Amino acid sequence: MNLRVFKRLMLIVAAVGFVLIGCQKPESKAPEKKAETAAEKTAAAPDKPAAGLDKILIGHPACLSGKYAKAGEQAVGGIKAALDWVNNTYGGVTLGGRKVPLEYIYYDCESAKEAVTSLIGRLAMSDKVHVVFSPYSSGLTLRGAPVTEANKILYMDHGGASNAIFRQGFKYIVQTIGPATSYHQGTLNMIKATDPAAKKVALAYEDSEFAKMVMEGAREHARKLGFEIVFERTYPKGVTDLTPLLSALKASNPDFILGGGHFEDGQLFNRQMADLGIDTKALSLIAAATLPAFYEALTNMAEGVMGPSHWEYGVKYSEREAKKVGLQWIGPSQDEFVALFKKAVGKEMIPDYHAAEAAAQVLAYTLAVEKANSVEVDPVRAALGDLTFMSFYGGWDVDDTGMQVGHTMVDVQWQNGERVIVWPPEAQTGKPVYPMPTFAEKAQGKKAIAGM
Amino acid sequence: MVVEQMAGNLIQGLVLGAVYGMATMGLSLIFGVLKVVNVGHGAFIMVGAFIALLLFNTLGINPVLAVPLAFLFGLGLGLLFYYSVMQRLIKAPELATLLATFSLGLLLQEVVKLLFGSEYRGYNWAVGKIDLGITVLPMSKLYACAGSALIAVLLYLWFNKTRAGSAMRSVVEDSEGARVCGVNVGAAYALSFSLGIGLTVASGVLLTMFIPVGINPYMGGHYTLKAFVIAVLGGLASPYGAFFGGLVFGLLENGSYTLFALIPGVEPFALTRFFSFLMLLIILLIRPTGLLSEKRT
Repeated sequence: MNLRVFKRLMLIVAAVGFVLIGCQKPESKAPEKKAETAAEKTAAAPDKPAAGLDKILIGHPACLSGKYAKAGEQAVGGIKAALDWVNNTYGGVTLGGRKVPLEYIYYDCESAKEAVTSLIGRLAMSDKVHVVFSPYSSGLTLRGAPVTEANKILYMDHGGASNAIFRQGFKYIVQTIGPATSYHQGTLNMIKATDPAAKKVALAYEDSEFAKMVMEGAREHARKLGFEIVFERTYPKGVTDLTPLLSALKASNPDFILGGGHFEDGQLFNRQMADLGIDTKALSLIAAATLPAFYEALTNMAEGVMGPSHWEYGVKYSEREAKKVGLQWIGPSQDEFVALFKKAVGKEMIPDYHAAEAAAQVLAYTLAVEKANSVEVDPVRAALGDLTFMSFYGGWDVDDTGMQVGHTMVDVQWQNGERVIVWPPEAQTGKPVYPMPTFAEKAQGKKAIAGM
Repeated sequence: MVVEQMAGNLIQGLVLGAVYGMATMGLSLIFGVLKVVNVGHGAFIMVGAFIALLLFNTLGINPVLAVPLAFLFGLGLGLLFYYSVMQRLIKAPELATLLATFSLGLLLQEVVKLLFGSEYRGYNWAVGKIDLGITVLPMSKLYACAGSALIAVLLYLWFNKTRAGSAMRSVVEDSEGARVCGVNVGAAYALSFSLGIGLTVASGVLLTMFIPVGINPYMGGHYTLKAFVIAVLGGLASPYGAFFGGLVFGLLENGSYTLFALIPGVEPFALTRFFSFLMLLIILLIRPTGLLSEKRT
């Protein structure tokens, strides 16, 4: 095939892609035309009180296919569940003395950067949404930020944890997911408290914006706690074999390992550690280890493996807890959220933290609009800056850059096929199993079971 | 220590390379006979991976037995796609076949996603390990390597020792000449396409024996790029060349890691890819037709 033919092919593929994106129907409860009409009213009279508004439009380039489809499905379910609660239980958002419902417009971004930017453009200019929710992952979130800034639209981030997003000087981005640098702090604190003799830590992670930021925080915190980093290496996205890296890691003989990046490489990491018989006292993998699919794929080899999580079923956030710490409470209880989520996705699916953080973002936006008594971007952004509250997801507060500083993460561990919250002590649903069983023991069927 | 690591990585690279080679043979076969570049190649690998997963998790059938079953399924799928789509496009410009195979790949991905969802899945087939001192090799990887080598030998024998294989080689040399000599060229095309797809689907099973996790409707993309590199390395139209190309690629990828790890401040994994592609460029400069290009099918 010569260059001319190749160029032609690329042109045709690009043209087909644009046509397909253009032909997508918004997956919203209401017809697109209605949504536009409501938004046009606001756009035509920006200084007028939003009393005439009949709905508030939330736009979302959701990852419903492609590599982040799993997280995207959870996020959409979480948003729908929270919308259900706001519109039907809470009665809508109080705006200009009236209750106004939220409406959700989302398109599949296919986990692709190019689609994220074009879809945000469409949501801003054609659908005229009042707020855009970010797609999943730091890379995609960062990609969309310049478009929302250019269109002067609030951009709420529930899927991009990298601190780098908030170092670019963006004005309209506000985070609900916790910052990446805090991911492994709990794990390190737990090991320090459980095993003061453990000194050597290995860091092995995906060469991605998110994982690099997680490890930046882990490196700093590990040094602060007196751990020695005996190995640190990255691996590329889409890696299909980690054997060379893991062989080198094994030679460094660490006490425990902090690693991972996303779902796929996390499974591979654990599997190939088992293949090579690399035994350490603890293994904590970001993103992958907290998902049920992780255990389903690895079965007993996942026993004892840990992972940081923004939310897990069983966390003890409640209206009473909020009162105790002097925070405003909003939203469904944990069990109510699970029921709403199942109703939203239409199947017996358990929500994970991707769903919870997306839902919490809806609650944050609701409170901010009420506080600002407006849907205009500047007052709502200012209200979000001053907002602190607690929901089933936990605490919520942002700093001046919009980065989340009020939410505390938990560490979960696979114990006897169940996810158990093992850190911090006040959130524990079980004691940590430390050291975790060796891979040889796990191959014989040994489970990680804590002696209480 | 470095020598041990290097030796261990080369052994792992050789085993992985055999599976990479097997995963590329179907691509080379289809291009060799039909002059069609199957850009949906990775999706067929993914189908094989799902066959292994489903047979193991639902019926308890071990992946070794899943290889022939996946091959037969792939043959059927190949015939279906050939007669429904590819047959009409054989004489069409390259763009038409490229778009057709691209579309077939997308179709397969979305059908699998619809049926099984988009979770990353896996299975746990524990059949022991061999500790070589310098590295540990799970038996499942050795079975995958041996299976790949066996299939490569069988394909070679089939091409060189059977009438159908000779007919196919004659079509590669000169399709008009073959037709004049009584060869059913249409049937040879159909057989080549379905055989190529069968081999690719079977290679998906073998890949899961090497890496039994990360099975997902979109997993094929990683392997498509590698398969193209390996195919070019071995000689695009030569299935055996592809097999040896896979071995070379596996050795380069894993072996170079240890060397680059010796350079302070360098991330070796980033450089192994660069090195593999650099070697590809050098080989193509010296032998533009690939390593084993003279051995036509």
